[in-house]
Amino acid sequence: MAQGEKHHLSNSKLNDVDEYGFERPSDFRYESYEEFMSKYLTVLTRRARKWSHLLGAKETVGRGMKVKRYIRKGIPLVHRGKMWMEVSGARKKMEAHPGYYKSLQDLPLNEDLMECIRVDIPRTFPDNIYFRDYKEGKLGSLKNVLVAFSNHNKEIGYCQGLNYIAGLLLIITKDEECAFWLFDVLTTDLLPQYYTPDMVGVLTDIRVLESIVKEQAPLIWKHVAHYGITWDLLATKWFICLFAEVLPIETVLRIWDCLFYEGNKILMRVAVTLVVSNQEKILMSQEFVDIIHCFKTIAKDEDALNCHTFIENVFRVTGSFSRARLAKLREECEAQIKAEKDKETGGKSFASSCVTSLTLDA
Amino acid sequence: MAQRGGAQRPSGGGQGKICQFKLVLLGESAVGKSSLVLRFVKGQFHEYQESTIGAAFLTQTVCLDDTTVKFEIWDTAGQERYHSLAPMYYRGAQAAIVVYDITNQDTFGRAKTWVKELQRQASPNIVIALAGNKADLANKRMVEYEEAQTYAEENSLLFMETSAKTAMNVNDIFLAIAKKLPKSDNNARSCWMLQVITFKTGETM
Ligand SMILES: Nc1nc2c(ncn2[C@@H]2O[C@H](COP(=O)(O)OP(=O)(O)O)[C@@H](O)[C@H]2O)c(=O)[nH]1
Ligand SMILES: [Mg+2]
Repeated sequence: MAQGEKHHLSNSKLNDVDEYGFERPSDFRYESYEEFMSKYLTVLTRRARKWSHLLGAKETVGRGMKVKRYIRKGIPLVHRGKMWMEVSGARKKMEAHPGYYKSLQDLPLNEDLMECIRVDIPRTFPDNIYFRDYKEGKLGSLKNVLVAFSNHNKEIGYCQGLNYIAGLLLIITKDEECAFWLFDVLTTDLLPQYYTPDMVGVLTDIRVLESIVKEQAPLIWKHVAHYGITWDLLATKWFICLFAEVLPIETVLRIWDCLFYEGNKILMRVAVTLVVSNQEKILMSQEFVDIIHCFKTIAKDEDALNCHTFIENVFRVTGSFSRARLAKLREECEAQIKAEKDKETGGKSFASSCVTSLTLDA
Repeated sequence: MAQRGGAQRPSGGGQGKICQFKLVLLGESAVGKSSLVLRFVKGQFHEYQESTIGAAFLTQTVCLDDTTVKFEIWDTAGQERYHSLAPMYYRGAQAAIVVYDITNQDTFGRAKTWVKELQRQASPNIVIALAGNKADLANKRMVEYEEAQTYAEENSLLFMETSAKTAMNVNDIFLAIAKKLPKSDNNARSCWMLQVITFKTGETM
């Protein structure tokens, strides 16, 4: 099996398409990728061996410090889909509702919602070879999962960005029903307020990120504020897409390993790390445009690509980060958002008073 | 994708003013906002343009006779759910393009709602353009040119039918906005003079 994994990943090095079906962009840096892969393959081989030991003849891992450590070091691709199902509780849900997924597809769906989904299907991962065809590829499955989910969770229905999440789940699980239940766990259990109509969970987490940066890296916070940039401009997509379509694919999968096992705290850890460990680059960007650009670049550079050290760094930079602290920050930020909203709907001329006139050439 | 192409200060001689403006694109999902920006900034068109999450930021420069206008463009996501995120993109914007799809009447209705919201909530002197996109699909037309034009006139909007696919009127609509924007320091996000100082021989400093 160690052999299989190694073979699987190393082969793709030479191709224009990666092992998940994504075409490499024309400016893909093969050299730095190969350098990373030559090191990462050793890690993968070791992890594959350790995981076979851990699993033995079983299909399950349970919970505990050792499992947590193993998961933080990455679930081998061959086990990933299955392990996500297990550690997240998705399998339990699926087994408790046999036939339910299929039954959802026969229900009629609200026309507006259907239209929203319909226009996003062909716009999901256009750079992935599996997402080009309804019959042969995954587009049909993607539609089935999204439609079923809209019928299942009427409050969320469909929210743009969920197409990428369901798409990635399909790539990993290769099974509609499994993808559906993982999707349900993510949107309903792990991130209950992210995709609801007010998206308050996303807005809150952006604020939380800002307040942590302000405390942990005040220079960055000041710098960004100086140029009139608000954090929602920088981090909205990070949270909505759970870093899919933001960070390199292998890094995203490593983050999702932790997400399914440990919960949503990992998203905040990653966001904070991305910002804090790139302090120098951010501070060197000296214009509004450059800072926005810098935040795109740091999500795609070598540090982001090098998923193993990236994840190690995430836990080092954010250290012991208690659930209680995160909960408290979220509570405060959510209250702040609510208060601002009330004020805005109370007194009208808010927008025009916010016009920024910045002198960039000072 | 952040894109910085064409955003440099011109290196030519003479005197020129450079003004920087924030422009936002609004409109229903899939009307072609991202495609219009891609056409304007990179001259490309993708049959399957990736759906926009949150918003995308790009820049492009337009040269007028005596002024260079640099647009900072925010391309927003269209779904109703993202509505609560929209104000941060149009706040402080000096220009907006509200886009609809000429083959879809609902998207025109949604465009009108956006115009109303901008008139109420955005800066009072924001320049608003209405773009009837996908004009290449005239055989599937559901929104008449005259209807949109009348609406635009009544609301003092710039109006053009565009096609990101064929490039029709794409540069033109940005150019029309650039022309209409007042180029004074207190209106633009920032303005600066580009001066080439020449020294005549014999002149002492
Ligand atoms: N025929 C035609 N199709 C277009 C045009 N502009 C955009 N499209 C297509 O419409 C779909 C949605 O475009 P997109 O730019 O993603 O829309 P957005 O959601 O408003 O950003 C894509 O498949 C585009 O290829 C156009 O001018 N003509
Ligand atoms: Mg778009």
